[in-house]
Amino acid sequence: MSMDRLREFLPALLIVGKALFVAMFSMTAAVLLTWADRRQGSMIQDRVGPNRAVIFLPGKFAAVMALLPALAIAGAAGWWLVLARREAPTPTEALVFSQLAILSVWATAAGIAGRVRSLGVASSIDLLFQQIQPRSAAAAGLVAHLISLFAFLGLRGSEYAVTLTRLGAGSGPAILAVAVLGGAFYTAMNCAREKQVGLRLAGIMHPVADGLKSIFKEDFIPPTADKLLHAIAPIISFFPVLVLLAVVPFGAPLCLGVPGDWSTLFGPATAVCTGQTLSLQVLDVDSGLLFYLALAGLGIIGAVVGGWASNNKYSLLGAIRAASQMVSYEVTLGLTLVGALMIYGTLRVDLMVAWQAANSWGIFVQPLGFILFFAAAIAESKRIPFDIPEGESEIVAGYFTEYSGMKFAMFFFAEYVTVVTSSALISALFLGGWHLPFFDASGLRVTLGQEVLFAQPLPHLVVVLLGVLAFIGKTLLLCWLQLLIRWTLPRFRYDQLMKLSWRVLLPASLGNVMITGLLVLVAAEGGASMERGLAYAADVTELVVVGASLWATVAMVRLIFEPTRYQAMLASTSAQFAKAMGGTRTRRMGA
Amino acid sequence: MTPTSTVPRGVVGKAVARPSQTASVQTYVPEIAKGLVLTAAHFFRNTKEWVFGQTPDPMLESINDGINTINYPEQRRPYAERFRGVHRLTLREDNSPRCVACLCCSTACPAQCIHIEPGEYPVGDSRRGYEKFPVRFVIDELRCIFCGFCVEACPCDAIRMDSGMHAAPYDSREQFIFEKDLLMRIPARDGDHQSENPRHEPGDPSYPGLTREQKH
Repeated sequence: MSMDRLREFLPALLIVGKALFVAMFSMTAAVLLTWADRRQGSMIQDRVGPNRAVIFLPGKFAAVMALLPALAIAGAAGWWLVLARREAPTPTEALVFSQLAILSVWATAAGIAGRVRSLGVASSIDLLFQQIQPRSAAAAGLVAHLISLFAFLGLRGSEYAVTLTRLGAGSGPAILAVAVLGGAFYTAMNCAREKQVGLRLAGIMHPVADGLKSIFKEDFIPPTADKLLHAIAPIISFFPVLVLLAVVPFGAPLCLGVPGDWSTLFGPATAVCTGQTLSLQVLDVDSGLLFYLALAGLGIIGAVVGGWASNNKYSLLGAIRAASQMVSYEVTLGLTLVGALMIYGTLRVDLMVAWQAANSWGIFVQPLGFILFFAAAIAESKRIPFDIPEGESEIVAGYFTEYSGMKFAMFFFAEYVTVVTSSALISALFLGGWHLPFFDASGLRVTLGQEVLFAQPLPHLVVVLLGVLAFIGKTLLLCWLQLLIRWTLPRFRYDQLMKLSWRVLLPASLGNVMITGLLVLVAAEGGASMERGLAYAADVTELVVVGASLWATVAMVRLIFEPTRYQAMLASTSAQFAKAMGGTRTRRMGA
Repeated sequence: MTPTSTVPRGVVGKAVARPSQTASVQTYVPEIAKGLVLTAAHFFRNTKEWVFGQTPDPMLESINDGINTINYPEQRRPYAERFRGVHRLTLREDNSPRCVACLCCSTACPAQCIHIEPGEYPVGDSRRGYEKFPVRFVIDELRCIFCGFCVEACPCDAIRMDSGMHAAPYDSREQFIFEKDLLMRIPARDGDHQSENPRHEPGDPSYPGLTREQKH
């Protein structure tokens, strides 16, 4: 095929590739969500949770598998070290490597020490690590992280900066390689000693096992069912949710520049992209959000058709409930977006994200809209507290009562994919999508009003990749929040559900439209001073996001270091017997 | 009852005040946030303890409120030392069963779940003429009522219920019928297949009874 023909097909190929990526992303995230749902439930309720699915690896094989990634990391670090000898390392690279080195050292030490503490001394190396408290290793690591960070930031531009850079870039990769290899060798040694090592991955094997199981299970169709509709209903509900993310951008457009010249990718960003751009979105259509809403509404047809075709009264009840719930909440879903549309002035999701990147996140300009849309989106995914169509306490399993095997799994999976897609849309509409606070096209740039407090230019590719990671991170965070809601709230009663939709959410979304319209008018008439004030307020909202993230990080670190206060509880003879046998935590008792 | 009372006529009992419908309750969102914070706190704390291996031992220690869940079957409450579990047949030094097929246990069994077919040792065996051995020894664990009479009845300490196991759930009745081989393979709680009471075989210096070689 000639080069021209290839170029002709390139856009189509690109769309197929991007579509594959998006579909794989939503399905992988959905599989992980089925695991996370169970894991989260067990962590909230203090249960062991999914851990039974296991693959046993021979000890020697497991040892090799433990060594391979470490060898790859060490090899990469060594390669970089050799490369850095040729070129002058930048302070940023030195900072990253020193941080990675510190992390690898303390994490390895704390990990091995913790293992020795809980499983006992098995070798002479263990005796060494028995002296280390995991908590102190982690605390020392944290202090070292902060010292390194502040040293690099504080000494920027001074005469010591060159020495520090050389030190970090020279020793960092070496320490990283040694620590990672050491930890891997220790793990490999322990694995090789065992006859077989169980691969449990905290229960991630469970959804995999469930998926495989459902393929081989009996596919039961009720004798009186409509066979064709019964068969295609899961497909109808599954496929629309897979294409929903086509209009959601995963990152800022990537400027590829002139073909053959990659300097635009690795150099600083330019204001206007010359040459080719790669949009990180499958479909660049103007109807963006309408496409999403239209296809999101299609999923319900599968539930209704499936419930009707099963020829079972409970299925039919579930289908009717699903239909009425979807119709009610779709009204709210659309109306809550009107406020956002008035502000963003577009239906294209990528332009909405661009507006948020330039001004302020949607959650700050549309707080009520965010809450209403979030509630309606959960209702659209038919999950607790809105899982009336399933309602297993009342109507067996609702619309999929008569489904088994892979068809049931498709309904089930569609629900989780909906969680992922709705989270992605919410993060694009209200949480700034790929935008990170104080990041713009040129890199990190902390501004407050007109003055620039801090600036760190970054290569174009790094900025875009950080954006993609930010978008995926926000999406997963929202997924987590939906799971948390699922494990917290009880199911609504049917009349409560309808009341909430028509008497609360709908009037509130109408009110939101009016208030937003008023505010948009005021902002438009405000003049220059108003504009300046709004820009300042927008920067303050970014500061709020950064502050909240910092607070969350500090709270997490505090939680990790908080000592656990056990109270001895030896009231019963059974407990005394358990103590004599070494406790139930460390070894199995009885049978 | 006075006519001004809010309690309806004919209803006896205490009038309970309705829960207050404050603004935060009625708008619903703050209450949801409170609930989410509570479950999230549980989530993070339990996850941390799980990841770092700090989960308290449910039998021995508690955290603050003292409520602990035993995650059966990963964690098990220990059975008491005298717990009557699944039967086992104790073994001699040479790994043959101690049972002499006297049928005491099957006679004592109120549930009639023990079936023994006694057999003679072959000609030339030193035990021939003294004792028999069980050709078959079958216990229907589904029929057993775990009363322990068989253990009490046994004169040879050959059947014991100190395995510390409860009968596992199987999916067919046949699987509950434990044959001799299986019963001999079940260990005591300490992993031992023998009994703590030593057996004194004929010919041993410690053998207390009459022997064929001696004239009496």
